[in-house]
Amino acid sequence: MHGVSLSIGGPHAIDSDYLRQLKALADRVQPHWISDHLCWSRGNAHHLHDLLPLPFTQESLLHVAGRVRLVQDVLQRPLVLENVSAYLQWTTSSMGEAQFLAELSNLTGCELLLDVNNVYISSRNQGFDAWQFIMALPHERIRQIHLAGHSDYGQYLIDTHDQPIADPVWTLYAKALSYLGPTATLIERDDLFPPLDELLAELEKARTLAAGVFKRAAPCA
Amino acid sequence: MRLSALQAALEAYLLTGNSEASPELLDHIHGSAALPAADGLMIYHNAYRTRLLSVLREDYPTLHRWLGDEPFEQLALAFIAAWPSRHFSLRWLGEKLPTFISSYVAEPQLTPLLELTALEWAFTLAFDAPDAELLSLDAMSRFADADWTSLTVRLHPSVNWLRLQRNTLEIWQAAKAQAEIPETTPLQTPLECLVWRCDLTCHYRTLAQPEAEALQVLVSGRSFPDLCTTLFDEHGEQAPLLAATWLKQWVSQGLLLRN
Repeated sequence: MHGVSLSIGGPHAIDSDYLRQLKALADRVQPHWISDHLCWSRGNAHHLHDLLPLPFTQESLLHVAGRVRLVQDVLQRPLVLENVSAYLQWTTSSMGEAQFLAELSNLTGCELLLDVNNVYISSRNQGFDAWQFIMALPHERIRQIHLAGHSDYGQYLIDTHDQPIADPVWTLYAKALSYLGPTATLIERDDLFPPLDELLAELEKARTLAAGVFKRAAPCA
Repeated sequence: MRLSALQAALEAYLLTGNSEASPELLDHIHGSAALPAADGLMIYHNAYRTRLLSVLREDYPTLHRWLGDEPFEQLALAFIAAWPSRHFSLRWLGEKLPTFISSYVAEPQLTPLLELTALEWAFTLAFDAPDAELLSLDAMSRFADADWTSLTVRLHPSVNWLRLQRNTLEIWQAAKAQAEIPETTPLQTPLECLVWRCDLTCHYRTLAQPEAEALQVLVSGRSFPDLCTTLFDEHGEQAPLLAATWLKQWVSQGLLLRN
């Protein structure tokens, strides 16, 4: 199960009604894991319906960790949190997003969802090295990988989930797999759906890349 | 600045109509060569409105078509400013649009707009209303005499009952068919209209006044024999047959639950 509404970093109290419904659905469908995003999507008064970035500070870490523990207590399982695409960085941040996720996982036992497209978008928009980001994550905590497409505006990228997966994202994915080992992968497509054949071709490409990586890695295993 | 203050500043920026960020907010944001701080903020500002407008266009397609792009966007943006989202799901964003229209639009536009928004929202409500076990023709075929004499029913939770004073349904049908939208006009007699979900599909139908009155009698909690008695004054000995015919139709259309 994958959500966008938990607002795990928000300034409000965790929405108990939402959490109750999430738990009821999880009890019914018995998902392998429950994931959402490391972000806030609700302000003090209103829902903002976006995956807004947090400042990566000790204050944020303690704030989010407390809320992750609460959610995990209710769901009775580790929460899986995903890195988001970001179009701004807070000046108060004292660490990077990857380090924040690693420390959060240490503090709470939460697991991670690596969205390779989001890493690539944020790295291009903010000028950091996408590969260093991936290497800074605790690989043993990564439960799933997401792939998606974005829109390229030349200077910057926007996460639209309505385009084919870009070549640099495929390259990062293949490289990441060689470090992570076999990892569940989901291709996300929210809009401007192409013919099914094109979507299946992306799925086949992901499978071929993974098979190639593991074939090469097998003798060393 | 503390986390909560930063979040309050960004929330305030997103909710205001002005996409130009204050120097105080900009002070707390790093830009990059690729994406200066003000441009990054503007992406979030624009995405907020684009996302919410898109939801309202999907929830109120006929209203959008009827008003046209620009007036619809003006109405939708004014609504979003007055009624920012209060639910974690965007599914509920448009719930208060009719309420907002009541305060934002004057007659003679008000009544037609209110009816149209009520009709369109009825489809949204029907789409994901709770499931419930329908009374079926099969179950009725196995009724004992006592079942018939004590039978009472209620409407399925997805049923929305509208009483239209204008040719709103005709406007909605024209928009759905991509045809020319007729002028709004009052009806000589109000039109009873049901919108509901059956077999995972939303349906609508109109009811002539006698059928509407009969259905109202039955779903108000009175029994099937009561309905026959009510119909007797006007229809005499044909009353039980008429009641049974209507009941069969309502049941086969997936409108009724047994109490």
